[in-house]
Amino acid sequence: MKTLYSALIGAVALVALPACDDYLDINDNPNAATEAPINGLMAVSTLNTGLNQFRVSNGFAAYYVQYLASPNQASSVDIYQEVDFSGTWGALYQAMTNAYDMIQLGEERGGQDHVGVGKVITAMNLGLVVDSWGDAPYSEAFTGANITPGYDSAEELYATVQRLLDEAIAAFAAESLVDLDGDSDFIHGGDIDAWVKTAYAMKARYGLHLSETSGYNPAAVLADVDKAYTSNADDAEVTRFEVRNPWAQVARNNDNLLLGGWLSEQFVDALNGTSFGTVDPRLSMLTDTTVSGTYAGTPNGAGRRGDGTMADESYIEEKGPVSGAMAPLTIISYAELKFIEAEAALDANQRERALAAFREGVRASMTKLGVGTAAADSYLAANYGMLTAATLTVDDIFREKYVALFLNPETWVDARRYDYMYKDFTLPQNAATTSFVRRLPYPDSELSRNGRNAPVVSDLTSRLFWDQ
Amino acid sequence: MHHSTKMLLVAGLLLFNTVGLLAQQISGRVTDTDNEALIGASILLQGTATGTVTDINGRYELAAAPGDSLVVSYTGYATQTIAVPDEPVLDITLGSGVALNEVVVTSLGISRDRKSLGYAVEEVSGEQLIQQRNTNIVSALQGQAAGVQITQSGGGPGQAARIIIRGINSLDPNANNQPLFVVDGIPISNETITAGGGDFRNVSNRASDINPQDVESISILKGGAATALYGLRAANGAVIITTKKGQAGELKVNFSTTVGTESINKVPETQSTYTQGYLGVYDPNSFWPSWGPSVADARQQDNTHPASIFNNYENGYQRGRQVQTNLSLTGGSERATFLTSLSHVSHSGVLPFSTYQNTNFRLGGEFKASDKFTFGGTVNYINSGGDRVNANRYNESLTYWAPRVDVKDYQFPNGTMKGYRNDGTVGNNPVYGAASNKYIDDVNRYIGNVRFTYAPTDFLRFNYVLGLDNYTDSRLLRAPAPQGLANENVHEDNGDGFVEETRIVARDITSNITGILALPITEDLDFQLLGGFDVFDANYDRVGVRGEELDIYNLFSVNNAAQITSNSFLRQRRLMGLYGDLQLGYRNAVYLSLTGRNDWSSTLPAANRSFFYPSVSASIVFSELLQLPRAFDYGKLRVSYAGIGKDTEPYRLATVYTNPSGFPIDGTTGWARGSSRGSNTLVPERTNTFEVGVEMRAMRNRARLELNYYDATSSDQIIPVPVSLATGYSSFVLNAGSIRNHGVELSLGGTPVKTTDFTWDIGINFTRNYNKVVAITEGVEEIFIGSSFGYAGSTASIFLVEGQPYGNIYGRSYKRYEPTLDGDAPGPKVLNRDAPIVIGPNGFPVVETQQKILGNTQPNWFGALNTTFTYKDLSLRLLVDTRQGVQKYNQLDNFMSAFGIAEYTTNRDQTIVFDGVLADGTPNTKPVFLGQGTGPDGVNYGNGFYRNVYRGVTENFVEDADWVRLRTASLRYQLPQNLFDGKVLDGAALTLTGNNLLLATPFSGFDPESNDTNGNSGDGFGGFTYPAVRSFLLTLDVRL
Repeated sequence: MKTLYSALIGAVALVALPACDDYLDINDNPNAATEAPINGLMAVSTLNTGLNQFRVSNGFAAYYVQYLASPNQASSVDIYQEVDFSGTWGALYQAMTNAYDMIQLGEERGGQDHVGVGKVITAMNLGLVVDSWGDAPYSEAFTGANITPGYDSAEELYATVQRLLDEAIAAFAAESLVDLDGDSDFIHGGDIDAWVKTAYAMKARYGLHLSETSGYNPAAVLADVDKAYTSNADDAEVTRFEVRNPWAQVARNNDNLLLGGWLSEQFVDALNGTSFGTVDPRLSMLTDTTVSGTYAGTPNGAGRRGDGTMADESYIEEKGPVSGAMAPLTIISYAELKFIEAEAALDANQRERALAAFREGVRASMTKLGVGTAAADSYLAANYGMLTAATLTVDDIFREKYVALFLNPETWVDARRYDYMYKDFTLPQNAATTSFVRRLPYPDSELSRNGRNAPVVSDLTSRLFWDQ
Repeated sequence: MHHSTKMLLVAGLLLFNTVGLLAQQISGRVTDTDNEALIGASILLQGTATGTVTDINGRYELAAAPGDSLVVSYTGYATQTIAVPDEPVLDITLGSGVALNEVVVTSLGISRDRKSLGYAVEEVSGEQLIQQRNTNIVSALQGQAAGVQITQSGGGPGQAARIIIRGINSLDPNANNQPLFVVDGIPISNETITAGGGDFRNVSNRASDINPQDVESISILKGGAATALYGLRAANGAVIITTKKGQAGELKVNFSTTVGTESINKVPETQSTYTQGYLGVYDPNSFWPSWGPSVADARQQDNTHPASIFNNYENGYQRGRQVQTNLSLTGGSERATFLTSLSHVSHSGVLPFSTYQNTNFRLGGEFKASDKFTFGGTVNYINSGGDRVNANRYNESLTYWAPRVDVKDYQFPNGTMKGYRNDGTVGNNPVYGAASNKYIDDVNRYIGNVRFTYAPTDFLRFNYVLGLDNYTDSRLLRAPAPQGLANENVHEDNGDGFVEETRIVARDITSNITGILALPITEDLDFQLLGGFDVFDANYDRVGVRGEELDIYNLFSVNNAAQITSNSFLRQRRLMGLYGDLQLGYRNAVYLSLTGRNDWSSTLPAANRSFFYPSVSASIVFSELLQLPRAFDYGKLRVSYAGIGKDTEPYRLATVYTNPSGFPIDGTTGWARGSSRGSNTLVPERTNTFEVGVEMRAMRNRARLELNYYDATSSDQIIPVPVSLATGYSSFVLNAGSIRNHGVELSLGGTPVKTTDFTWDIGINFTRNYNKVVAITEGVEEIFIGSSFGYAGSTASIFLVEGQPYGNIYGRSYKRYEPTLDGDAPGPKVLNRDAPIVIGPNGFPVVETQQKILGNTQPNWFGALNTTFTYKDLSLRLLVDTRQGVQKYNQLDNFMSAFGIAEYTTNRDQTIVFDGVLADGTPNTKPVFLGQGTGPDGVNYGNGFYRNVYRGVTENFVEDADWVRLRTASLRYQLPQNLFDGKVLDGAALTLTGNNLLLATPFSGFDPESNDTNGNSGDGFGGFTYPAVRSFLLTLDVRL
């Protein structure tokens, strides 16, 4: 019996013994890190900067510019009803948050290349935010110090975008003490020269956005263009994915009756000869014909023709230069830059330069989308054979830029600057408003969590400061 | 006693009975001390099952021999054992006035005199628990206790159920909100784990591993004072399970076997007029199951079309079956006793291929080493798991399936899937999906404890208990790859085939030492002091590996996959608690209890991890102090207050960086800032609870009443507060917000009739809980709890909003004509169903896109009626329960309207004028066609009213989900004792049980008791759930 007692006392002592603080010091999360590897932050933020182009486009921009149309009649996005895009907003801020942490670490450790990359991608995401919503949190964002961050005005954010790009260019010029892992850079594979060009390309893009404001300086835009891309090889784009390009996933889902990626009648008509009388060779690269052997888009707001299970319409397909499984997801391209150059040159009255850039833009787009030289030549001859420096208009530029930037969210900025004056462009059927959409309402996540700071938006046709 | 001796005795008794030589007829009267007859008192010949009960005059008659002992008992009176005298008359007086020496199990498994308790405790006997023959111990508590809300997540084999005591008391969308489960002093896990692909599958809650037949009784501790000694882990209440213990005496064997059959108890109504196609055009290859022409029209075009179409929700289900077998043995000597039990459950559900099995082995023993020292232990091994089918996906796919075709004909001879289109080569077959896309869990669990009791003197006792709850859970999610045959129809969910293996190892250790000092200070004053210390240490370790694209199509090994991804997760939590309880009792009439507990939790910042909280409770047995009318036996008033501290989840103190899903890509790892911002300044949550109650018994315990009022407010809640995503986080972990629950619980019971042969017992319980989100935090207006998809923007969501109760369902509605309403005014937007609907210029109702409150997921009140009729050897038990004032989003109906399946879409051939007003308030007069395509008026109506308008209005699918049901009826026949005298058997009984026999509900889908998930939003969303079942079970109980 004595041994039994000792055993009991021993057991009690055993459990009572660890009653010291060490015993409770087990609350460091073993599944995660308290500090992130800087290249890991870059991997996530660069990849998502690319994916955010898709998210913005597939969420609303591609429908607003009528690249795509919903298979459902009077679908909310198609017809300009107020839709909550908290998810897209969150994805943009998440990419900027990881870029923010990368910049902080880079600055601490002298990782100037990381600082530069961080600032360029912040500009890319912030640009999408301000162009979609207008005023938005930035100067009080990302730190976690503020539970309800205040909003910066859209004008301030435009200045911020340019400042970020200038600071990035300065950072790239400085010596970096931290190795930038090329594999973790999903946009340029660690090529700093390419990043510098991209920074200038972005500066040109955002300089041009001000075309309808007093702050517009076409000469400065052209100066930025000069330091940016010289060929399609320079394009800022994501080419590696977890499984496949997200547009390819949309196409694949559509095949599985999770409908999406339906081409708008507006876009198809612009390329199949309906609007302009000539067939654009890029169309066959981007989609397939319907069961009746023709190309047919879906009118926005009208919904499907048939029951959605037979190819009565044209859709993006899991192949080709934009929606193929391994197709690049482009953020900003040489072709776009050429159209920026053409428009700025036109505005600066450098008409020869404008014409050259315009033609180069079309050719770059053809090449990028896999159209052969002969077909490109004949397209140019048929459509612009008579075109001279004197006769080139913004209509030509916007027409071609619309096709070249297929599915890129930048087109929504163009559409608003151009007041949606694309040929045959009409309001969607069943439209909830009497004029074209100009902005998004603030997402529910902001209204319910930061409602006192979020500005009041009267309706979706109210314009941002650069859209006059 | 040896078995043979016992046989001899039984044989002897038989002899006495038959021959009547030595045995004599004893008769007499059983009364209380006031000489009032006790009706239905039990008189048992000790050591046998032979006995009788007293009649209406308290009289009894029984054959017994002098020297035998009679055990005389009556509820609320002290049981007496009396030797049979030589004389044939024996009057017995049971101690009265000291009624209710009822003992209940309280915190830490300590048995206490019920009258001394200053708080409510609900007791459920093992017998009540097995009434439904439900193998899930949580489901089995349904309707048994006031204040306890049980929610089935569905009728799947082994499917989880949820228990909420006195309302939800956390604003955290992911909070568990369920009580602590304790088995013989050892807290056990009751998690519902869906890791590795188990969402929407009929997974189990871990407490369902426990075999209800092993349970002696359950105490449910509801309020803060009741659970104070358990500390923070019981902040949502506690379910204290006491298992059966070994009994000294000869070997006793109990064997029972149950066979059951079940079917869906309620099937949604479908239209039977229209068949496959779209725009009224018949097409056997169409995706659309029911937007075609009438069946008659289709038959004219296609003579293979059947004369009638199926209701897929009926045809897609089968008859379920189950077999339960249970064997227990107990015996021992005065010094050592043991009990062992073995049980097996095998259950196949109404949804094809869904199964569950549970094998349970338990061994327990107690050893009395000396007068001062006893020890014992129990080990319980459980193997459980099954093939869990995704009921959500199954029902969704049944919706797409054209009811022209028999869904049960699901595969071609070569084993590939048979669809419903293009002669079976196109279309997903849900039955094939269930057959091929599987999620199988396999749990091996050990729950064990060792206990020591040392009582050096008769006023001092120490208890020590060390317990272990350890399980490994192996989960396999898998689907085959295509076979690669020409024209093979591949199920969309199976893709290129995949295997996902998830391994969970969970281990909880509890160590608890208690010392109790009990001294009568004076004749009138009792004193008891209890002190103790406990340690809890929990480890959870999960590893998952997923392989995609199987090479050999049906080899379900990750080795056979082309793409492998993996994940792992570890969680550790430790708690220590030091507690004390001082109890004073005065003249067995006035009791006061003061408790204090200090907890140390690993989950809080070091500076704040230690926290103390007190409770005080008092009980006044006023029937001892006042002269009550004669009819009243007992009256007690009690009041208690407790302030409970609470810690948080592990790893909430720091912001971390994680590897987001989607990485690694080509060998590149990614890191991203975690979405939740940790805080290293958290302080413990606090819940202040107040409770007052009264207990009354009257008419010699034939009538009883218990009434409670409770009020609990949790403040400083540690919740992930949803924040602006611009902060760089989606939530900040903060001490923020408070939530209040207060309500009333009423239990009534009694024995209206009791005669020698017939007894009628009845019990009613009622619960009304009021919940309110008192505050969230400055600047944050709502917390999202969950949502359920609806077509065309009709997704239903649950949000918590300040000033509103938990569980408001938001969604789109028909626009109402309310010219005086300022739609932008702050405050809750509640749908005004009384206002006229606004009709648009096109003649159809206008959809209001602003989210409005359409209903609430928490019932206004719920209650149950339990009743038992006993006539001689026959007893009938009935359980009726109800839930009232509750709404639910019916996702199934949303899909049924979109696909033209709902019964009401039969009116698609009609032209009507919608009742409502135009935007200017004038009545609508425009007739419109409800169908698709061009109407009789020549107007093209496109996809038709149901697709264009109806399916996009959440209001149409938020339905009243009230119900009243005959939960259980069970008829038991105890075979006459004289059949067994002298035979191998000691006794036997046959029980026929029916569950869910009758249901009255306005809800149009499956039984509204089934839920989307077992989580906090689950009870608001129904539809594509595992349907509830009606079951019939036959049980044979045998005693050896």
